[in-house]
Amino acid sequence: MDKKRLLQNVRARHALAIGLVLAWFGAGSAFAADPIKIGQVAALSGPSAQSGEAIARGLQLAIDEINAKGGLLGGRMLQLVQRDDESSPPKGLLAARELMSENVAVIFGGLDSPVSLAMLPAINKDKHIYMGVWAAATNITHNGANPNYAFRVSAVDALVDVKLLKFANQKFGSKKAGLMLLNNPWGQSNEKGLTAAAKDNTAITIVGTEKFEPADVDMVAQLERLKSAGADSIILVANSQPGAQMMKSRERMGWSVPVVSHWGISGGRFPELAGPTAGQADFVQTYSFFGKQGAVGQRVLAELEKKYPTIKGPEGVFSPVGTANAYDAMHLVALGIAQAGSTDGDAIRMALENLKTPYEGLIKTYNHPFSSTNHDGLGPDDYIMVHYQDNKIVPVD
Amino acid sequence: MLIATAIVSGLGLGSMYGLLALGFHVTYAVSKTVNFAQGSTMMLGAVLCFTFWVTLGWPLPLAILLALACCALWGAVVERIAVRPFVARGSNSWLIATVALGIVLENVVLFTFGKDPRGMPPGILTTGAFSVAGIRIQYLQALIPLIGLALAAALQIGFARSRHGKALLAVVQNKDAARLMGIRVERVIAIAFALSSFLAGIAGILVAPLFTIASGMGTLFGIKAFAVAILGGIESAWGVVLAGLIYGVAEAMITALLGSTYTQIVTFALVILALALRPNGLFGRAELRKV
Amino acid sequence: MNWRVLISAAVAIALVCFLIVRSDSYHILIIVLVGLTALVGIGLNVLLGLNGQISLGHVAFYAIGAYTVGILTTAHDWSFWPALVAGGVIAGFAGILLAIPALRVRGPYLAMVTIAFSFVVEHGTAEWQDMTGGWNGLSGIPTPTVFGTDIGEKGIAFLTVALTVLALWAFSRLSGSLWGNAMRAVRDSETASLSIGLNPTMIRTTAFAISAIVAGIAGGVYASISSFISPEAFPFFQSILYLLVVMLGGADRVLGPLIGACVVVLLPEMLAGLGEYRLLFVGVLMLLVLRVAPVGLVGIAAQLLPIKRSEGAPRARGDIAAFLSSNAGRYDLSVQDLTINFGGVRAVKGLSFEARAGAITSVIGPNGAGKSTALNAICGFYRPDAGTVKLGEKVLSQLRAHQIPRAGVARTYQTSQLFETMSVLDNVLIALRCGRLGAADLLAAKDDAASVEIAEGLLAFVGYTGTLDQEAGALPHVDKRLVEIARALAVRPAVLALDEPAAGLDAEDTAAIGALLRKVAAAGVTVVLVEHDMELVMGVSSHVVVLDAGAKIAEGPPVKVASEPAVLEAYLGSAKQADRKRRSAPPAGGARLLTARALSAGYGAATIVRDAAVEVAMGELVTVLGANGAGKTTLMRALSGLIRPTEGEVRFLDQRIDRLTADDIACRGLVLVPEGRQVFPELTVLDNLQLGGYARAPADEARMIGALLDRFEALKARQHQRAGLLSGGEQQMLAIARGLMASPKVLMLDEPSLGLAPRLMENLYDLLAELRDEGITILLVDQAAALALSVADRAYVLQSGSIKRSGTAQEIGQDPELVRAYLGDGGEPASPTLSAPGIPLAGK
Repeated sequence: MDKKRLLQNVRARHALAIGLVLAWFGAGSAFAADPIKIGQVAALSGPSAQSGEAIARGLQLAIDEINAKGGLLGGRMLQLVQRDDESSPPKGLLAARELMSENVAVIFGGLDSPVSLAMLPAINKDKHIYMGVWAAATNITHNGANPNYAFRVSAVDALVDVKLLKFANQKFGSKKAGLMLLNNPWGQSNEKGLTAAAKDNTAITIVGTEKFEPADVDMVAQLERLKSAGADSIILVANSQPGAQMMKSRERMGWSVPVVSHWGISGGRFPELAGPTAGQADFVQTYSFFGKQGAVGQRVLAELEKKYPTIKGPEGVFSPVGTANAYDAMHLVALGIAQAGSTDGDAIRMALENLKTPYEGLIKTYNHPFSSTNHDGLGPDDYIMVHYQDNKIVPVD
Repeated sequence: MLIATAIVSGLGLGSMYGLLALGFHVTYAVSKTVNFAQGSTMMLGAVLCFTFWVTLGWPLPLAILLALACCALWGAVVERIAVRPFVARGSNSWLIATVALGIVLENVVLFTFGKDPRGMPPGILTTGAFSVAGIRIQYLQALIPLIGLALAAALQIGFARSRHGKALLAVVQNKDAARLMGIRVERVIAIAFALSSFLAGIAGILVAPLFTIASGMGTLFGIKAFAVAILGGIESAWGVVLAGLIYGVAEAMITALLGSTYTQIVTFALVILALALRPNGLFGRAELRKV
Repeated sequence: MNWRVLISAAVAIALVCFLIVRSDSYHILIIVLVGLTALVGIGLNVLLGLNGQISLGHVAFYAIGAYTVGILTTAHDWSFWPALVAGGVIAGFAGILLAIPALRVRGPYLAMVTIAFSFVVEHGTAEWQDMTGGWNGLSGIPTPTVFGTDIGEKGIAFLTVALTVLALWAFSRLSGSLWGNAMRAVRDSETASLSIGLNPTMIRTTAFAISAIVAGIAGGVYASISSFISPEAFPFFQSILYLLVVMLGGADRVLGPLIGACVVVLLPEMLAGLGEYRLLFVGVLMLLVLRVAPVGLVGIAAQLLPIKRSEGAPRARGDIAAFLSSNAGRYDLSVQDLTINFGGVRAVKGLSFEARAGAITSVIGPNGAGKSTALNAICGFYRPDAGTVKLGEKVLSQLRAHQIPRAGVARTYQTSQLFETMSVLDNVLIALRCGRLGAADLLAAKDDAASVEIAEGLLAFVGYTGTLDQEAGALPHVDKRLVEIARALAVRPAVLALDEPAAGLDAEDTAAIGALLRKVAAAGVTVVLVEHDMELVMGVSSHVVVLDAGAKIAEGPPVKVASEPAVLEAYLGSAKQADRKRRSAPPAGGARLLTARALSAGYGAATIVRDAAVEVAMGELVTVLGANGAGKTTLMRALSGLIRPTEGEVRFLDQRIDRLTADDIACRGLVLVPEGRQVFPELTVLDNLQLGGYARAPADEARMIGALLDRFEALKARQHQRAGLLSGGEQQMLAIARGLMASPKVLMLDEPSLGLAPRLMENLYDLLAELRDEGITILLVDQAAALALSVADRAYVLQSGSIKRSGTAQEIGQDPELVRAYLGDGGEPASPTLSAPGIPLAGK
């Protein structure tokens, strides 16, 4: 056999395939970027797609404001690059790697804690900044890495849990709390947090912990267990849809126990889903566009209404925490980049840990929001308790 | 008390499983095939009913009838494009094909109906309730098992009494002999798929006020209902209905007694165990192997 | 493996390695994901492709592997490498565990078991918090080290490539090994695999275990590259993607999963704009693949390449006679008091006979006599309720089905049960080992020279003249029979049992089979033959056992048996017939209602009826006579549209009906009362009657049912009972009444007297005479020739699928060809015509 000709033949046949693959692999790193890329890895499809959209709105709003003022680092514009994590940790990891190879200055995370947790080892290793604006799992910022590149402007489960128990006790005089937790990472994270919080709070004890699946219809059995354990308040950790199922089951039993909830039930048409008793759940928020707004609040709402015509008033802002957190976090990151004078991860990290300029934001005025030991920009004092009044989220008294 | 309420809850959900499983039974009996994505058909019923009634503002009875008609039509479509071509060439790929079609349907609904889950407006069925021995039972909760059993009975009677029902039973018992009676077997199979989807649609509409309406609402229901159908011995109508009720009550009891943590693990492990011990289901008969 | 394959593979591997060296971490991860997906796909291909078992829960094994590595390397400080092995082993054990319930269930049931398993694993990992970290998962899983050096992402990528290449190589070896073919054999026909000694339980379990091990190892590598795992990394949907990977590439194709993985992983990444429509895309793609390209991309590519048909007909090689006699050992088969019940019915009653070594013993009898049942009991497919089967001193009746061939009994089936997707040569090769497969055979080539020599020799021995690499499913019918016999001989049996080997063969091929059986017997093998073709039976047997209604009614040498009155009566019916002459003059020159011309029909490759011509005129009663297996029922099924004729045309009421469906034909008034009555057992008598009139407008339904019930008194009394509870005679009456409900223009009856007691047969034929006299046109098929002739105007004689004679009932009754058609040439000397032993047949 004529090996030489054979080899040529094989080569020729593989040439096209090789060329195609090389072209595609090359494309990722081909462009040296003038704009500063801002990455977002969040759920853009599937049931949590709205959360990703809410975050994107907050980011875009802040980016537009910054770009309108001439960008950063001597006129470089900011540019949002989005990737869908499909709420799946492996996909999130893949997306983060892709964004890092495109040299984004920062990666904003989404709703799902496990996705953020899956991305973090790679992000810390590659020295990129991660900014959490929704996922509340405590160990996202407390991830054990040193140096740690994960920051967050959002609620932190451990802190929220302290607040929830305290509120149940103070507002409703509850001494025996029953936990109703979604059987997912978030629920499990809060199970830990609530257990720890109950240890430190002598006024209230946990008398039962029940879980339910995201697709459960009927939770009467779980509630009956809590009821027979003597629970006089329910601490709810769930998203809108399963949270609504919990409220409906409670209504079905005719049990008028107070419900204190994590922020999952905000947005996602909770009032429509939960029906008449939707307003009976008090829950935590970092921000509400209802009620009296400060100067920043008025401006942001006006801009949102202008940019997204479907938004007519505060009712139109779905998942407000996502938008609010993202908006503030983007501005903080911009300040960090400006102070660092570069898009280098290490430089931004050090700048953020020691932000010199105070930032008057939507949620509050941030004065030294981060330090080398604290990467969470918001604390328990920044949380507010709210409940639904028809379709409006209004602060509790 | 704990057990009594668990039974009430379990019967409600169990009859949903039973209805869906009855759909599996109907098509399996006439054609040895099923629409594996029965859960997405259930979702279709709920979504269409909601759209017609709430979004478009049509009268509720019309909305329900139209939604069910669409479900039935969808069933026939599934049979035509995801089952018949494969059966015709002797392949069992209809199983995956129906799963694929279910994925397509769910995603089409996701983009047309929207990603946001929706809720049926409250009505007297969900707000009203009565008490029996201290247990509060919503009207709808009591109604669902009744409707479920009534439908199962109606099916049974319809098959036994009506001309076309008997034709369907004839196809179940002996396809060739049925053909010799002039019964259009292919049409009967298509009708069985329509009927199966019709039942799933009813389940969807019934569960909608208790649940939330979204493109993914039926997936787990469909899987559990299939487990129920298999457990009941898919060839037996009463078997699957009974298995549905047993499954629903078992789920609620496990939650009530062991705690909710292990509900899924225990129920699915029981499914495996039951099939390992009784490969033809709890109420199914073994077939004689012919050589 | 030839040069081209090696060079292509080397180029591909080099290219991927080059890419790994040059890529950033994102592209490396993509390469790893493609590799890992391909790995799981290769594993699944063993299960799905080779073994034909579906798994909708394969992600569970992947998860088990990932968690094993995750837990061992973090909490227990194991090094990656032993942890990876442990991951594979534990996943493999899980696979074996899952195989236990999976063995007993099929199709949708199996799908359910695997789904349930994956749910249990998913929730198990979420709840077993101490070990798995629960929903929050395990983080900090280290990358592997080699000699103390962290190999990093690129190292893992190289590892993945190496594993994928290894798995592809191993799969291609497995695919070409005896194990691979054993898996395919179980997939194609579990029944036949038992009869060559394969143990389907063990083979299925092995497939599950291999599949799970590969998935587990892939999962272990995933844990290390991602360094964080949680239950959400292994969603149920992933299992469906794995199935897509295998099907898209092509099940049972070596490169299939690799191509599938490339598409499934790369396409969504390349088409980022697809975004949220990704799942829609997956669904549509799956449907498309299933509908348009069920053989997958690799399968299509293979079809486009020119097919090499190098090997010709088998050469006569090796000393086959010596091969056969080496194990035969001249054992007699002895059956004693064999009894088998089916749900209260005694299919075989106290049957005893001996089959001598080196001779051919035939078991014959009319339809439903219990011949095949007895054969199945001898071969271990049914456990007898009483009695024993012994081979020499060995008791066979307690062995399990797959042990019977190992004990020395091989068999063929009534409808050929070849491994249809395998080549002719492979069909024989797999049988040579008689199911004794060891671990060493997993990767060893199936076709070592010695085995091929014997297999080829066997194929030549049986007279197979086709090519060796021909796919068995596409063989002509006669070749299927021959290959099946070669396969049975390959287990080196002491006893060869054949179930109607001549069914559907023409005279020439039947004669060849006869010669072949003689050669086999001459090698010392005990041959047991169940057969309808009397020419064959009488020609080759040295001993004939006659069964009727499950009991032995005669035995002895063929000539003696053929002349025994009991045998003649069992076959032809009693020659004493009541007078059933027409009361009125037979119709003359009535319009032809039904005409069949040059009609051929059969099942699959088997042509049962050849070139038949039948005519029925208005008002006539025409009968088609013939022994069992002559093709009578096939003819009726072809006329009624239950099977589509392969050639010729059928006209009914001057319209062609041979392309119509059975229901359409029934609606036009050509109504068949099928063989075995086939009433709807769960429906009442009334419902059965009602369905009989389903095709017509139900206007006068009640009146007709009333009239029929008046006619059939026995049915009237039981009209509300389920038909399944009626006696055989009553069921036959019901079936006829049901046929009459359709107001047929021609009523066809297939074997109405089958299984009826003599008195009931007489009643039945009195009824048929009545119907005839009422002017109903009837086409009757019955093996009870004497009875049929007593009512018929005209008759046809069908033998081996062809019409041998036609004429008036009287002419046929006198024709010696008729007896020959039933009892072959062996019957001729003793009874030249049917009417000779007794009273003239046609009632004249």
